[in-house]
Amino acid sequence: MTSVGAPGSLEYAVKATYLLKFTRFIAWPQAALGGGESFNICILGPDPFGATLSQVVAGEQIAGRKIEIQRLERDPAPGACQVLYIGEHEERPRFTGEPGRAVLTIGEGSDFARNGGMIGFVIENRRVTFDINWRAAETSGLKLSSGLLTVARTVIR
Amino acid sequence: MIWGCFLGFAARADVPEPLRDFSDPGVLKKLSLEELAQIEVTTPSKAPVRAFDSSSAVFVITGEDIRRWGATSIPEALRLAPGVEVARIDANHWSIGIRGFGTRLTRSVLVLIDGRTVYTPLFDGTYWEVQDTLLEDVDRIEVVRGPGATVWGPNAVNGVINIVTKSASETRGTFVSLGGGNEEQGFVNARYGGGNGKNFDYRFYGKAFTRDAEQHPDNAYFDDWRAIQGGFRMDWSDTGRGAFTLQGDIYKEEAGERVQAGAYTPPYEYNIDDNEFLSGGNILARWQRSLSQRNTIQVQGYYDRTNRHEPNLGELRNTFDIDFLQNLQLGRHKISWGLGARFEPVKDIQVVTGLTFLPSSRTDYLLTAFLQDEIELVPKRLALTLGAKALHTNFTHGIGYEPSVRLAWTLDQKQTVWAAFTHTLRTPSDVEENFYLSGLAGFLPDGTPYMGRFNANSRFAPEQMNGYELGYRRLFGKHVLTDISSYFNHYHDLFDQEITGGPFFETGATGVTTPIVPHYLLPLEFGNGLLAYTKGIEVSPEWRPTGFWRLRGSYSYLHMNVYRAPNSEDFGTAPGIQGASPEHQIFIQSELDVSKKIQVDLTWRRVSALLAGPVPAYSTADARIGWRPTGQLELSVVGRNLLQPSHIEDAGDPGPLVGIERSGYAQLTWRR
Repeated sequence: MTSVGAPGSLEYAVKATYLLKFTRFIAWPQAALGGGESFNICILGPDPFGATLSQVVAGEQIAGRKIEIQRLERDPAPGACQVLYIGEHEERPRFTGEPGRAVLTIGEGSDFARNGGMIGFVIENRRVTFDINWRAAETSGLKLSSGLLTVARTVIR
Repeated sequence: MIWGCFLGFAARADVPEPLRDFSDPGVLKKLSLEELAQIEVTTPSKAPVRAFDSSSAVFVITGEDIRRWGATSIPEALRLAPGVEVARIDANHWSIGIRGFGTRLTRSVLVLIDGRTVYTPLFDGTYWEVQDTLLEDVDRIEVVRGPGATVWGPNAVNGVINIVTKSASETRGTFVSLGGGNEEQGFVNARYGGGNGKNFDYRFYGKAFTRDAEQHPDNAYFDDWRAIQGGFRMDWSDTGRGAFTLQGDIYKEEAGERVQAGAYTPPYEYNIDDNEFLSGGNILARWQRSLSQRNTIQVQGYYDRTNRHEPNLGELRNTFDIDFLQNLQLGRHKISWGLGARFEPVKDIQVVTGLTFLPSSRTDYLLTAFLQDEIELVPKRLALTLGAKALHTNFTHGIGYEPSVRLAWTLDQKQTVWAAFTHTLRTPSDVEENFYLSGLAGFLPDGTPYMGRFNANSRFAPEQMNGYELGYRRLFGKHVLTDISSYFNHYHDLFDQEITGGPFFETGATGVTTPIVPHYLLPLEFGNGLLAYTKGIEVSPEWRPTGFWRLRGSYSYLHMNVYRAPNSEDFGTAPGIQGASPEHQIFIQSELDVSKKIQVDLTWRRVSALLAGPVPAYSTADARIGWRPTGQLELSVVGRNLLQPSHIEDAGDPGPLVGIERSGYAQLTWRR
């Protein structure tokens, strides 16, 4: 009954695809990729994607590493995640724009980027678009390409 | 009375996203970021049935359509729907008909806002000048052409207009827009929405405007208009199990008008140019519960208060309404049933002696029950819908029935054929059963006035209609959708004006306590003496050549034949009804995203001549240019009726016909 689509819905299939596509427009500093072999996309709290996210990233690589999806109940250790989807799990986005902690934080709603999150999904006219907090991303050491910024609904600089 | 979530008139008849198969993630991955941003991920309905498969002529105007058309009122937004006749009478009055029979208070079109019926049984019709909300918050307007009585209620004879606002969860944040121009002299709209981020959301809005009079050959610029309105909506959800909505509005306005007045003293019959003083409010609660995946119930109640002070009459109306609805799926059967009760304590105020309601204080009521079964005869191919509504009102004797049969045949993913038979009723109203209306016919040689008076007719029967519909929808290739709907409607017991006896001398008048001038009176009444048939076709193609350009159009043809029943004493009603609707209407619209920041939208429309008036045919054009320098800010300029200084659309006002002017406004919008 809310605007949030059911798990496995088209809405979350589109968001899962965005999640993968975003990584093509963002460069992580080498240090942030951690010592592991994989590129980790972490979901903190409830997972609204169902199986779609796994299907979307299957066979894909980022920075030469294979992608792993981790579902977390608590805050990740430093370096454990390269992308952190927070969803509507928390009132306030965390790990946002901390210098040297280059984790791409992704959440829901127009408040997310405004409150320091990096990319917030927004439903507008029944379509999924997103706001970017460029300052938060750059402060943390992530490099965002202009191709991503031009598609965003709003860019906070 | 019944809500869109149940009927589920979902996606607008555009190239429907559901026809594109995104179930394979590989399809989405091939799209660019820009293309991903164009996918409609939620359908406007909560229990979606694709409009493409629907067995009725449905057109959905989305909130985005309204924004890009630059509409500043609900009636103007309705111009986007095919088969709807929107004729602006003056600055604040419209005649809105569907498939004929349009007047200022169209009797045969039922109108609802968020489940609240705004059709009034005073004159049977909708006072459009007080039907408003923040247009930014409108999710969609579902326009059903043709009878929708079985589920929607009585008086949905020729159509239903169902205005649905967004859930509060979709309107978080701040929105402010302000602007002005020559007709739209100034307006401001504001909303703030928030929530707890989990299961509760709310919004508040306020709006105000002042609008100029239209063009009057007699230089009597009576129809200027000022209004202020505010409201709220709160939504609680219990994911998967239920939801509760509480919402309300309050408004106050002054709308100038010219009305006819009658009196039993000189000057007996005259026009008044003055303001209508209109105010009111409503509060509505709706509770939904899913008992299981295939069994949901809903209870809705509302209270509406209307204060109407016109120069020739006044009314204070309270409406209490409660409805129950259950949707059940049992195997191949989708069963819906519902009960409704509405009580309307009303007090009418006599302003001139020639317009009197007796009794002036009374309670109008409506009781309804309906049952509908949608049977999947062949899964995903052939669906048969059977339904019937039973109703009783204070104006009817016994119980009225409104049965319907609908069949939808989905030939393949790209073609649907549907057909329907419906029997519907237009229930009698106060104007036929409790109303006394006098007018001057002339003077006898000795100077004695000779008057006519419509006396209340408590025997007035419901108007009846048998409707036959046939429709076809087809998707050509990937980008062209065509919707064709045709109909043949047969009416009987239609409203007429009859002479009920010979003239007699009268020294007192019904319902009038003040002294009157003795006069000769010809007794009249509103009767059921007319028959009619209408036939027509509406064709509405839509083409999306690319992701950034949409072209659509519609052509509507209507043939009306209204005539007297063999025993009717009607004097002149039939040609007036028949002459008030256009035979041909054409609408063409282009919506172009020139760049991510600039939108250019153009329309051209033509409406054929009306014999009543007479009103000549007109063609005109509209344009909107929107510029969005940032995600938060938008500047737009809208030009309306651009092809001529003014044109006439309707002959609804007494006196010289009113010209609807070329106009323009600029608007600044800020969203955060």
